[in-house]
Amino acid sequence: MLRNNRPAASAANLPRPKAALTLGFTLLVTLAACALLLQAGDSPPDRVPSNVAWTPETIAAASSGDAFRGLLLAKRCGHCHGDEGFSARASTPNLAGLNKLAIWKQLEDFRTQKRLSHAMDPIAASLSPRDEADVVAYFSKLPVFTDPQDNRAFPQSRPDQGHAAIATHLVSFGDGERGIPPCQACHGPVAYRPGVPSLMTQNTDYVLIQLEAFANGTRTNDINEPMRTIAALLTEEERKALAEYYGSGLGLQSGSSTSPK
Amino acid sequence: MNWRKLRTLFLWAFALSLIPATRYYQIDVPLLHFLRGHHVDPLSLHLAGEFVENNLGTEQNSDGSVTVRMIAQQYLFIPHCIVVPVGVPVHLRITSADAVHSLTFNGTDDAVKVLPGTVSQTQLQFPKAGDYKTVCREFCGAGHYAMRSEVKVVPRDQFPTLQPGERGTCAAQ
Repeated sequence: MLRNNRPAASAANLPRPKAALTLGFTLLVTLAACALLLQAGDSPPDRVPSNVAWTPETIAAASSGDAFRGLLLAKRCGHCHGDEGFSARASTPNLAGLNKLAIWKQLEDFRTQKRLSHAMDPIAASLSPRDEADVVAYFSKLPVFTDPQDNRAFPQSRPDQGHAAIATHLVSFGDGERGIPPCQACHGPVAYRPGVPSLMTQNTDYVLIQLEAFANGTRTNDINEPMRTIAALLTEEERKALAEYYGSGLGLQSGSSTSPK
Repeated sequence: MNWRKLRTLFLWAFALSLIPATRYYQIDVPLLHFLRGHHVDPLSLHLAGEFVENNLGTEQNSDGSVTVRMIAQQYLFIPHCIVVPVGVPVHLRITSADAVHSLTFNGTDDAVKVLPGTVSQTQLQFPKAGDYKTVCREFCGAGHYAMRSEVKVVPRDQFPTLQPGERGTCAAQ
């Protein structure tokens, strides 16, 4: 019995060097962490608006989703965004027919906490990169035109004459004096930049809320801050006019009716 | 080949080489800069490096001059409005995130060509205080004509004292 115990006893003694090692390792890690913290204290960390960069690999990953798998995943989205991508609440965005890259970038920013939303952050956190691409592929395939019999938020009532004129001018010409580029140069139908959504079928309240958020700096996930700059240059009335323009479907009638691919 | 033919050839070569030599100022300096290997990735300017968000704007140098870092993007200059003190050397460092742009200052002859992938650097000096409009002079797309921004040249005592990590823009003033 005693003989048998001996190896066990020596085994019990073994942890001593092990403990020393662990202690040493912990010390080292702590020191390294302190050094890093001190370094970080010297210069403020870089403010990164979004982790997305539109490299060819990113674009390929974002646009190679399986729309049928996306349909199954999107059953959860229908609650707020509508079963056909047109939501009943005007403060929730319509997703039908949106550019793949545009939805993908927002999902990615919600997942990495670059854009903050109580509703979307936990949902995006539960999605894998493949799920994101699939959901995006599904929503981008939904038809843009709504059924007039349906009681969705879009399209809303037309803006009055004055607002319509302000918005039409800003959308098609911008304001060269103040350095505001025309909306249609990036949001379509004239041209689209990667990751920029079409606003033709977007809800009034949603567009207005986002413009306000960009202007007062509560939303900061635009790459190289174009929207923060432009929204801050617009007056309150112009922001409202633009939101009403897009929310009433005026863009669909005046511009070309093709949706971005 | 006799020496006459050689002489003619040499004379022609000399005459032709005068054309670029007398028009050196028209040669694309940022292009040469790029060919020498000074590259930045135009697609990931916002992720790391010199042109991250909090590094844009006016930086105070220890020798009294200032460095201004900007991004040109369809169809904006970022930051949209910059502040510089009057009469001090301004080192302008600008790069493009997409197309070819050209930054010009109204009322001056300065033009800075901006190419994606490389940094254009130039030294300016504003002798008079005031607001200068900057305009994009290279056609860059559908919103090109509205691509304008502003430089506020302020007297030296009105220019804010900037901390080492701090960058000056009109909004901060």
